[in-house]
Amino acid sequence: MGARERVIDCEELTRSFPSGVALDRLTLDVDRGEVLALLGPNGAGKTTTMRLLNGVLVPDSGRATVLGLDPWTDGDDLRSRTGVLTENAGLDERFTALENLEFVGRLRGMSGDEARRRGGELLERFGMSHRADVKVQGFSTGQRKRVALARALLHDPELLFLDEPTSGLDPAATRDVVDLIGSLASDHGRTVVLCTHFLGEAGKLASRMAVLFQGVLHAFGTPDALAAELWTAFEVQLDLGGEAPREVLAAVSALDAVQQAVPTTRGALVRTTGRDDVPAVVAACVGAGASVYGVAPRDPNLEDLYFAIEAKVGAQAAVGTGAEVTP
Amino acid sequence: MTSAPTGGRKAGTNWSAVRAVLRKDLQAVSRSKAVILPMLVVPVVLLVILPASIGYAANDRELRLNRFLDLLPTELTRPILGLPAQEQLVVLVLGYLVAPLFLIVPLMVSAVLAGDAFAGEKERKTLESLLHLPVRDRDVYIAKLLVAFLPSVAVSWIGFAIYSVVANAVAWPVMHRVFVPTRLWAILILWIAPGVAAVGLGIMVRVSIRVSNTQEAQQLGGAVVLPLVILAVSQTTGLMLAGAMPTFVAGCIIWAIAAWLNIRGARAFTRDRMAARL
Repeated sequence: MGARERVIDCEELTRSFPSGVALDRLTLDVDRGEVLALLGPNGAGKTTTMRLLNGVLVPDSGRATVLGLDPWTDGDDLRSRTGVLTENAGLDERFTALENLEFVGRLRGMSGDEARRRGGELLERFGMSHRADVKVQGFSTGQRKRVALARALLHDPELLFLDEPTSGLDPAATRDVVDLIGSLASDHGRTVVLCTHFLGEAGKLASRMAVLFQGVLHAFGTPDALAAELWTAFEVQLDLGGEAPREVLAAVSALDAVQQAVPTTRGALVRTTGRDDVPAVVAACVGAGASVYGVAPRDPNLEDLYFAIEAKVGAQAAVGTGAEVTP
Repeated sequence: MTSAPTGGRKAGTNWSAVRAVLRKDLQAVSRSKAVILPMLVVPVVLLVILPASIGYAANDRELRLNRFLDLLPTELTRPILGLPAQEQLVVLVLGYLVAPLFLIVPLMVSAVLAGDAFAGEKERKTLESLLHLPVRDRDVYIAKLLVAFLPSVAVSWIGFAIYSVVANAVAWPVMHRVFVPTRLWAILILWIAPGVAAVGLGIMVRVSIRVSNTQEAQQLGGAVVLPLVILAVSQTTGLMLAGAMPTFVAGCIIWAIAAWLNIRGARAFTRDRMAARL
């Protein structure tokens, strides 16, 4: 395997607005072909990060290199190699889908014919060819999103910034878009920065995740590395042939090593301090009269990690607030 | 990989990008009834119907203008007083008094179009996607200026051509000659009217950068443009009576103000500033 090629490298990136600090000393990097999920609630700084890295906003301090270019001095060169899907599709409603793509194609240096041909191909790929010559005004959110995604891919960019790419899409369209983003990275070597609220899609796509809260990066790394760092518990899914009875849950919960035991439709989900506690959990179930048909360890998913980070941030904030008010 | 039209900040104006934005925005204007209707109706009323009606009425009157003209300095009234009595009212009305209308129209049209071109992008939520494209701030700015400037000048020039035909036709029974356009009118239409349009544009750009939609832009812009309209109405006739050179010099001053406003507007029109207000 060849050496990793760094596509984004930013250090101590900071940007404030009159309303406050939007991004505070962000440091992260992204390699070619990687999908980075930028996660965080509204106002976390995800869109500001995207705008800074594409040279649309200028930072107060810090530095960045994107595709080997300085986003703030070589912004147009950079933007000619990036594609962006903004949170609002940003299509001009007075024009048809194809006219919107043609306009962007012309600004990207294509001839009108080339832009229309390429736009037509992409609209077909996204199931929108039947609406190509219809004004965008009457489009649903999902249809707009597809056209906007086609616009982002029009010039076959090396780096894609996607801000909430699946919001407003129906399940089938969401699956298609998620598959497409995955294939852009894995099959075509495209690098993707994905801002999303949907942890499910981030979990499927992201090779690394960056979690932002109030402009501060609180976690950055692969889901496995973050899990090792944040997820000290060990969870097992017990198959008891049906929902665990109350006395079985009580017997399991009584064990010192068990942190939590919750019923599920097929049994119970038990959180312990480690793998060595599993035999004792099974024994407690059997002792309480339950039949154990299966025991499966459950790795934490992205959602678990995200909420663990959120809880950690909340705890830190509470401590910080407390420290400030304590004389 | 498709190469982008821009080569970083070192390159000069990218006219293909300017043309692309200009073409799209002009197409949008031509499709928008809300923009087109006031652009056509107001000039037709102000430049054709109103002058024609006044001119027609003036044909039938044998008013003594001396009392009115006595109020003005002799140097200013000489062009009128030198005419036969029956021509004085027609020339005063159609040759001088309607002149301010030709400054109101470009001012109004440029203000409407500039509001749509700049603040309209925010309102339609298309600004952010434009900012993420490889087109330089200056090229977008130039394109947006032209989108507002070219139609406003075109409307006033076409309006004047129609007005000339109407005014000469209406006044023919009295004048028996073509009396519009004159050298003064040429200065007004070719030099001052575009300058006034550029001033309106400079004001609306500054306003549009600060507001979030076209309605706010029109309201705030109107508050600034209205005094200019009053100034134009009150001064233009006197200026024309004063002769060609003062009119030309006034045009130079208007262009200097327009240049100052638009240079400041170009400096304020940066990606960062636009994105920070999204």
